[in-house]
Amino acid sequence: MATITDDAAAASAKPFDIVATYNELLRSDPDLTMPIAAIEALVLLLTQSASSTISETLDLLEKSTAHLKKSIPNPIGLSAGTDLFQRYLITTLQRPGQLGPAGDFKAIRTHLLSNGRLFIRRAKESRHKIADFGRGFIRDGSTILTNGGSRAVSALLQKAADEEGGPSAVRFRVIYVLSSTATTSGDSSEEPEGMKTVRALREKGVPVSTIPESAVAYSLGKADMVIVGAEGVVENGGIVSRMGTYQIGLLAKAIGKPFYVVAESHKFVRLYPLGQYDLPIVQHVIDFQSEEDIAESTQQSSEATKNEDRPIELPLSASVDFTPPHLISALITDSGVLTPSAVSEELIKIWF
Amino acid sequence: MAEPTGPALTAPSPAPTPASEPQPATENAPQTLPIRDSKPAKPIAKDATAPADAAGNADKALTPAELKKKAKAEKAARRAREKVEKEQVGGPAGGAAPGAGGQARAPTTPKKDAAGGAAQKGGKAAPPRRGSGPGPFGAQSAPVEQKKKKDDKKVAVFGHLYGQQRRTTVAGAGKEVHPAVLALGLQLRDYVVCGSSARCVATLLAFKRVVESYTTPLGTSLARHLTTHLSHQITYLSTCRPLSITQGNAIRALKLAISSIDPSTPESSAKATLCDFIDSFIREKITVAGQVIAASAAQKVRDGDVIVTFAGSNVVKDTLLLAHNQGKRFRVSIIDSRPLFEGKSLARALAKAGLDVQYTLVHATTHAIKDATKVFLGAHAMTSNGGLYSRVGTALVAMSAKERASGVEIPVIVCCETVKFTDRVALDSIVVNEIADADELVSSLPPQQLTGLPDPGANTPAPADNKKGGKPTTAAPTLETPASSSSTSPLANWKETPNLQLLNIMYDVTPAEYVDMVVTEMGSLPPSAVPIVHRISTNL
Repeated sequence: MATITDDAAAASAKPFDIVATYNELLRSDPDLTMPIAAIEALVLLLTQSASSTISETLDLLEKSTAHLKKSIPNPIGLSAGTDLFQRYLITTLQRPGQLGPAGDFKAIRTHLLSNGRLFIRRAKESRHKIADFGRGFIRDGSTILTNGGSRAVSALLQKAADEEGGPSAVRFRVIYVLSSTATTSGDSSEEPEGMKTVRALREKGVPVSTIPESAVAYSLGKADMVIVGAEGVVENGGIVSRMGTYQIGLLAKAIGKPFYVVAESHKFVRLYPLGQYDLPIVQHVIDFQSEEDIAESTQQSSEATKNEDRPIELPLSASVDFTPPHLISALITDSGVLTPSAVSEELIKIWF
Repeated sequence: MAEPTGPALTAPSPAPTPASEPQPATENAPQTLPIRDSKPAKPIAKDATAPADAAGNADKALTPAELKKKAKAEKAARRAREKVEKEQVGGPAGGAAPGAGGQARAPTTPKKDAAGGAAQKGGKAAPPRRGSGPGPFGAQSAPVEQKKKKDDKKVAVFGHLYGQQRRTTVAGAGKEVHPAVLALGLQLRDYVVCGSSARCVATLLAFKRVVESYTTPLGTSLARHLTTHLSHQITYLSTCRPLSITQGNAIRALKLAISSIDPSTPESSAKATLCDFIDSFIREKITVAGQVIAASAAQKVRDGDVIVTFAGSNVVKDTLLLAHNQGKRFRVSIIDSRPLFEGKSLARALAKAGLDVQYTLVHATTHAIKDATKVFLGAHAMTSNGGLYSRVGTALVAMSAKERASGVEIPVIVCCETVKFTDRVALDSIVVNEIADADELVSSLPPQQLTGLPDPGANTPAPADNKKGGKPTTAAPTLETPASSSSTSPLANWKETPNLQLLNIMYDVTPAEYVDMVVTEMGSLPPSAVPIVHRISTNL
């Protein structure tokens, strides 16, 4: 019995490549976050699969989720979406009534799919909600230090800038920390992450200053607050985000400036890292090398380029760090402004 | 007042704990009584009031200083007598307090004292104050003195925790108490069944036998009568050793299950339901919970870790064994403490499984912490403000892990089933705690001495010591000999030794900020999430 369902799942998964769909979704819509892309890919998968029982559906879901997580170098953000979707499916299926285990499976399926779409639409709207909540934090005459390419931060800042000239005119300045790793390691033609936001803000008349990461401590004295985005919000209220956020958090704490995190609530991950090196991903940020090693690695890389099958590794520009909760003043999410300790409460509410 | 005479007098008189104590007590605690008395001491001789006059006649020959002395002695005696009366009437609550004196009593149980003592102070205690002069002086001072000596041995700050003496035999237990419960009570008392999970399981199993052998008396229903029948068992257990949080939670759940039984259910099926309930409670809340916790906590163990743990927790043991079986390579450093030495069995179990184990006592904490990478702790309970209530010494280990000199924080991980969560709040280790028999601290076997042993018989080791060098080494054995020759611990006569108190406290509270993560069967949480999970797990 089990082998038959396994075969069926494998057969149905074959024509549908979840990883390609996920990547395609992310590429096609620049506003899409990783967890939402993952959920959308899973919904697409379910529409295309021919599963006819609940256990078959769940099995298929589990397999493709595992496959997806394995093929993406940094599955932290993505796992928030897949876990949430899986949890949602299970609770819907366990609920008594017409949609429960006793109900008609086809009805259950259509319900799931339509609700999945609804969820995606809502998640996309959450950024506007966050902007509404967070707008109050940006006061007239304040200077905000931010980094990375978070779309939620960008939406929040643009929302605040849009109101200039309106009844609640907010005049503020932005210090934008541009990552140097992207320019040094990648192509020189590629502009650093965040330049798009900088341009958009300047267009709206917001004075923006761009600084390298090395100037953060120097510039923090001029800033009133720090606002950053996050890739994932973990259970203890800390965040996993672009490399360099942790040091900004430490500096902000040392100087005594508030440190706010902007994140959609679907980015809450069931993960509990105890420190920088406890994340479930492999990053080679620290790489000790002697002269000998360098010579060896250059030789190897020249061979590897010929072979073209090296394992995927997170490039330095895409690496992440963990900012512990005690450095965070508040999290601005679409379910309100939360303290770090309230995150676990939100997560428990979702999961139990 | 009376600085030179004061101390001289307090020593023979039945004064509580330190010599300095009675003075602040007389000035502060029951302010209206003593101050008025201490001043009238002189006027009394000349003034009116009949009993004072009678006393005054005898006093005439005394010097003013002696008068003061006498007034003081009277006061002390009177206070002591009030306490005796209170003890007789007020039961354990009143009996616990007197050793503590006025200051310690005030913050801890002000209401009880006010309720229990107010009537006596007003009614019984007041009249003897007026006519106290000759009364207590002669007749009552002897019994009072004995009483004092006993009270002396209670540490003031923890005075409210002493309560009644732990039960030592089954004699006097009610006839309702089931034999299984009788046996369990003694096992609990002697730490044969120790650890909050084990105590909870053993209690539930004993109660299961109580339920099995129970027959509803005529004229009542099972749902109504079984609860009272159980409370006899519970009272007996709590006289053997105060109930743990887990026991309390389990009993609460069991009573809820009993009261929710429909009275029309036939007795046999009701009993079967209850037995099933007990079995599933043990399975869900403790057995399976422990496995789930071990599985998720073992994920946190990495290759090359040095894991510090304190005392012996079953869940921590399971975690470490599981991680070891998963092929992870790590070292374990166990910190243990007197007098229970719970870490010894943990050390043996881990070493037997092939783990690298280091065992030290709590005074070597800083050394053990030095190369630690993670701290795993068990729990007795988790309080609603995130505090970890666990074997005394846990806080020390957690705090030293957080405040290591190099500044690198070591994550402190607590493994705890949700059945150990409580809605109580603990701000310190004083208000809620348990005091064990202080004799446990005394009766330890003297360490095997290699240098000291031949000393009393022959003096051969002396030259050997001289070779090694200086005076300190030769001085050491001579210092040791009196202790070893008496063959008992120097503390053996602590009850007769004045000014000596022993404190054998069982638990302490680690504040939430020293705990990084709580691993429960419902997932890993920050300590701040304890009340939420407690609410969820009790409502289900």
